[in-house]
Amino acid sequence: MATAIPGTTASLDRETGARQSPTRFRARCGLGRFLVYFMLILGLSMTLMPFLWMIFSSLKTPMEMARVPPTFFPEEPTLDNYKTILNDPLLPLLRFYGNSTFVAFSNVFTNLFTSSLLGYLFAKYEFRGKQALFSFFLLTMMIPSQVTMIPGYLILVKLHLVNTLWGLVLTSFLNAFGIFMMRQFIETIPNELLDAARIDGASEWQIYIRVVVPQLGPALATLGTLIFMGNWNSYLWPMVVITEKERRTLPIILTWYSNQHGARPHLQMTATVMVVVPILIVYFFFQRWIVQGITMTGFK
Amino acid sequence: MSMLRLRARKGRGGLAAGQRRFILGVTIPTVIYGVGLSLLSIVWALALMFFEYSPGRAGGPLLGLGGNNPFIGLAHFRNMIEGVSLEARLFHTSLKNTLIFAFAVLPLNLIVTLPLAALIESVRGKIKNAFRAIYFLPAVTASVGVALMWGHIYHPQEGLLNAVIRALGGPPIFWLDDPRLKFLGVSVAMWAVIVAYLWQDYGYNMVIFVAALQGIPQEFKEAAMIDGANAWQVFRHVTVPLLRPTLLFVCVMTMLSSFQVFDVIQVMTNGQPRNQTRVLVLDIYLNAFRYQRMGWAAAASFVLLLVVVIVTVAQMRLLRTEWEY
Repeated sequence: MATAIPGTTASLDRETGARQSPTRFRARCGLGRFLVYFMLILGLSMTLMPFLWMIFSSLKTPMEMARVPPTFFPEEPTLDNYKTILNDPLLPLLRFYGNSTFVAFSNVFTNLFTSSLLGYLFAKYEFRGKQALFSFFLLTMMIPSQVTMIPGYLILVKLHLVNTLWGLVLTSFLNAFGIFMMRQFIETIPNELLDAARIDGASEWQIYIRVVVPQLGPALATLGTLIFMGNWNSYLWPMVVITEKERRTLPIILTWYSNQHGARPHLQMTATVMVVVPILIVYFFFQRWIVQGITMTGFK
Repeated sequence: MSMLRLRARKGRGGLAAGQRRFILGVTIPTVIYGVGLSLLSIVWALALMFFEYSPGRAGGPLLGLGGNNPFIGLAHFRNMIEGVSLEARLFHTSLKNTLIFAFAVLPLNLIVTLPLAALIESVRGKIKNAFRAIYFLPAVTASVGVALMWGHIYHPQEGLLNAVIRALGGPPIFWLDDPRLKFLGVSVAMWAVIVAYLWQDYGYNMVIFVAALQGIPQEFKEAAMIDGANAWQVFRHVTVPLLRPTLLFVCVMTMLSSFQVFDVIQVMTNGQPRNQTRVLVLDIYLNAFRYQRMGWAAAASFVLLLVVVIVTVAQMRLLRTEWEY
């Protein structure tokens, strides 16, 4: 734990430096710095190791893969595994990317719309039943989704939405967390701005679209990214709703594929790379929003 | 709805008609769709657990309950408590494993994330952001991908872990398949999925702790150090108490999500070996969607809800009293 503090020690020493001998200060500081970076880089390698192991495995030949003990770096790196997967007629990957993209984007759009609209309503309007309605949304946020999963499925059966991608969209319009987060944001928009628009003759919907939404840029980006990631990586619910192979989303098709190829880990790892890496690239672009979103809300 | 209208008319000395229409235009669909859907789900879930329900059977007119899906009262719960039947024993195992999992994950997560956050917080500027971004990578990785990556690391022949053990002269270990292997009384397969889960999950708490640490005024720490406190004492007596609210939040959220663990376990072990990694959500999933025993599964998910509520409330009590003290 002591390694955590050198930064603070240095700032202290700067102010009370007169009392300490300069050589001692430098030694402590240098050693502390070194330890901090040592620990951080150690942790970093632990974090990256599984990714590297996956990527290196995907570049190995079946022969090399079967070797005991295994090699770490591929000896003759090859893209054959990727070609095998892309040419597999049983695995139309583009279709599955399409399915996942459709579900993720639909939910991002609907949830951003409903969250900002209801967030606006809860932040800026007074009406009877408001508190009750808001508390209700908070309550639904607390209930684990597995509790309502079974009736949720039965509702989709009744609506004939089982086995359709729409089933993953039409019953997920509202996002209690999103509403909560948007309300927090919209409360900071000054009322004068809304009233000014009202005086200029804007209708309430126009105010929402022209005044409120443009103020929400960063909040919408944060929420949108979180919803996208959550949907893209979601596993249990899509597995329950969709049983037909062609309509599945990427995570489910990944487990299906890896069960089909249980004895061929080079192909398993290659498929995993192809599912995992695109989202990591998206993450690097939106990293700032995601980190901001988590810190603000602790949402997973 | 009439209540909404009434208040809108009275509130704030007469709202413009346009505003009232807007409020109604938004709330009515929301209440019908959102509250309707949630209420229906909740009521249906509560009702199901008193029935012997299977979706394949033709039941009564109301939600398919009754008829061939008979009302059995508290029989599911009696069955659970007696713990004699096969499904009840599997449920007990799952409940026990879930508790083991959650109570192992929470402290291990804190041991990793809190020092890590302190380390990251102590470096400056761009490097800090870079570290934080990379450390967060596993958290945005699809959990199915995480499970497959770790499954490959644990692979008895081709896995990275056994390669290291072999290099050190040890015998290969069947991390995910050997039911006899135990560590601290818990099966090694369980530890293996715990490690994979920790790797995937720690980024969240790390990011939250970093933000909380940034929020602590530097002057507090400096004041303590001028008074002669060493680095550990500052951390223990200044930083940790100021982190209490964050700590409470993190503990509750981490527990909540580890009680609901499913993806990593279903893909890595599917509850095996010998049900040693079978957890509640997996049990619920298998009962409801594999064996079509939805009444039983609804009862099990109600127990999950109870456990979650009890543990959350207990944590809030525990940490809050300490905080006020």
